[in-house]
Amino acid sequence: MDLLDNLALGLSTAATMQNLLYCFVGVFLGTFIGVLPGVGPLAAVAMLLPVSFYLPPETALVMLAGVYYGAEYGGSIASILLNIPGTPSASVTCLDGYPMAQQGRAGIALFSTAMASMFGALFGVVVMVLLSPRLAEFALLFQPAEYFSVMVLGLVAASVVSTSGATRGLMMVCLGILLGTIGVDVNSGETRFTGGIQELRDGVSLVVVAMGLFGISEVMVSLRGATQSYAGAGLIGSMFPTAAEWARSLMPALRGSVIGSFFGTLPGTGQTVASFVSYALEKRVNKRAHQFGKGAIEGVVVPEAANNAAAQTAFIPTLTLGIPGSTTMALMLGALMIHGITPGPRLISDHPELFWGLVVSFVFGNIFLLVLNIPLIGIWVRLLRVPHYYLYPTVIVLICVGVYSISNSLTDVWATLIFGAIGYGLRLFRFEPAPLLIGFVLGPMIEEYFRRAMLLSRGDATVFLTRPGSAALLAGAVLLLAATLFPWRQWLARAITRARGRIRS
Amino acid sequence: MRRLISHLGPLLMLGAGLIFAIGAMTSLELGSLRRMGPGAFPLLVGGLLCLLALIGLVQNLRQPMPVQAADPMAVIGVAGGVAAFALFTPLAGVLPATALAVLVTGTVIPGFRWSHRLALAIGVALAVWLIFVLGLGIPFIAIRGL
Repeated sequence: MDLLDNLALGLSTAATMQNLLYCFVGVFLGTFIGVLPGVGPLAAVAMLLPVSFYLPPETALVMLAGVYYGAEYGGSIASILLNIPGTPSASVTCLDGYPMAQQGRAGIALFSTAMASMFGALFGVVVMVLLSPRLAEFALLFQPAEYFSVMVLGLVAASVVSTSGATRGLMMVCLGILLGTIGVDVNSGETRFTGGIQELRDGVSLVVVAMGLFGISEVMVSLRGATQSYAGAGLIGSMFPTAAEWARSLMPALRGSVIGSFFGTLPGTGQTVASFVSYALEKRVNKRAHQFGKGAIEGVVVPEAANNAAAQTAFIPTLTLGIPGSTTMALMLGALMIHGITPGPRLISDHPELFWGLVVSFVFGNIFLLVLNIPLIGIWVRLLRVPHYYLYPTVIVLICVGVYSISNSLTDVWATLIFGAIGYGLRLFRFEPAPLLIGFVLGPMIEEYFRRAMLLSRGDATVFLTRPGSAALLAGAVLLLAATLFPWRQWLARAITRARGRIRS
Repeated sequence: MRRLISHLGPLLMLGAGLIFAIGAMTSLELGSLRRMGPGAFPLLVGGLLCLLALIGLVQNLRQPMPVQAADPMAVIGVAGGVAAFALFTPLAGVLPATALAVLVTGTVIPGFRWSHRLALAIGVALAVWLIFVLGLGIPFIAIRGL
C-alpha cells in the first residue's frame, strides 16, 4: 500500500517533538490573530518568515500552515460574540452565530463551529491526500508553455477577486512581477533596474516586501482606531448541543465540506467565497431555511465547515503545481524557495517527507485547535476584552526585530519601512497590495517559463494557443476576466443585506 | 480637487510601467523572440502595466474611485517607531531600541496611558529577549556594553 507507506513517513516526520511543538505554536498564534479583528493571517505569516529561516523546511512549513488554518478557527469567535468577523471568511458566521449569542446560546455556537471546523478541515485533508498525488502526476506532463499559462491563470484569478476591481488587481500583479525582475537576471547574469545600488543585486527580499506591504501598512491603517475594546463580550451558557441539534448538523457539515473543498482548490477564490456559496446553497436545500439568520445551528456549521475545508485544499494547487491560491499561500511558497525547494509537480516525489509530514501535521494541528477552542475557549473570550492598543506597537517592533534578525542589516529595516509607506500609499489610492505580492513571488518563475517556451517553439508565440493544455488554461483566464463584467459583487452584497435585514426584524 | 487626486493612482501606475519599459529598452538587451535578452520580459510586462493603467484611468474618469483620507499621525507614529529602532540599535543594542520603538509608536495612540506604555515597552523587550536571543539563539547585541 503506497498510501499507507506515505502516511507512515508523514507520521514519522510530523510526530517529532520539534514539529509537534512548532505545529502547536503555529495553531496557537493562528487562533490568536484570528480572534483579534485587525491583524490577519497574512501579516502573521509574514512576521514569522524570518523565524522560519532558522528551522528545517518541513518544520517551518508546519508552523506557517498552522497559523493559516488556525486563523480560520479563531475568526469565528469574534463573529459569534461580537458580530465582528475576526477574518473575512468568518463574516458569514455572523449571520447565525450572533443571533445565537443574543439568545444566550453562544456556548453552543462556539462548540458547533469548533466541531464543524474540525470536520471540514479533516475532510479537506482527505481530499488533499487523495487528489494531490494524481494532480502532480498529471502536471508532470506540463511543458513550459503550460506552466506559463497555469501561472497566468493563477495571477488572473488572484486579481479578479480584488475588491477594487480586476483592472486594478492586474495592475498590482504587473507591478509585483516588475519588482521581481530587480536584481541579477539568472539567464544572462546582467543586473536589471538596480540603479547601481549594491544591496539590490540579489533582488528585493521577499520578507522585506511582505512585512512592509502587509505588516507596516496594515498597522498604519488601524493604529489610531485602536482605542476600542470589546468589553461587552460575555460568556456563554452551556456548550453542548442537544442530540437533535447534532443530528441536524451532520448533513450541512458534509455539504459545507464538499463545497469548501471544491472552492479551496480553485486559485484565487479561497475560504471567503467558499463560506458564502455554501451558506447560500444550504439555504436552498435545507428544510429549515426559514430559520436561517435567526440563530439556526446549521447556519454556523455550514460556513465553518466550508472555510476550513477550503483552507486545507488550498494547499493542493500550491504544493502540486506551485500556483498559490492566495497571498498567504504565495508567502509559503516563498518560504519554501528560500529554503531551496522548488515548488511544482516534483515536490511530492522529491520531498515526500515534507509533503506527507505536512499532511499528517494538519491532523495534529486540528486536534490541538479543538482543545484550544473548546476547553480553553475562556482565554480567547478574555482576549477580546484586552484593549487593542497593546497590539500594534508590539507588531511594529516584532517586524523590526524579525527583519533585522535575518542578516543583522539595518538597511533591510529601512527598506521595510519604505515598502510599508508604498503599501499605505497604494491603499489610499484603492489599490490592494495582495496581488502585488503574488506577482512578486511568481514573477521570476513566469519569466523563466515564458523564455523557455519561446526558445522551444523557436520564437513562435502562438505556441501558447496551439498546445491544447496551454490553450485551455488561457481560455480559463479569459473566462474569469469576462466574468468580472457581471455585477457579482452587487448581487452578493444584496444577498447579505437581505439576510441581515431578516436578523433585525 | 479630490477627483483630480483620485486620478493620480492610475497615473502613478502608468509612470511605474513607463519607468520599467523605458529602462528595459534603453539599458538592457532585448534579444530576439527566440532567444530573449534580459530586457524583453520587463518591457512586455511594463507595457502591459501601461495599458492597464490607461484602462484604469478611463474607468476612473467615468466613475472616480474616492481616495481614502490619510492619517498623518499614524504614519508618523509607525515610521517614528521603525526609525527609532533602526537608529538606536547600533548605539545601545536591540533591547533598548525595542523598548524605545514601542514608546514612540504608542505615543500617537489616543488614550494609551504613559504607565501602560512603559509596561508594554518593558514587556515586549523581555519577550524579544526570550524569543529571539534565548529561544532562537540569534547573535544580537542585546544591550551594548553588557
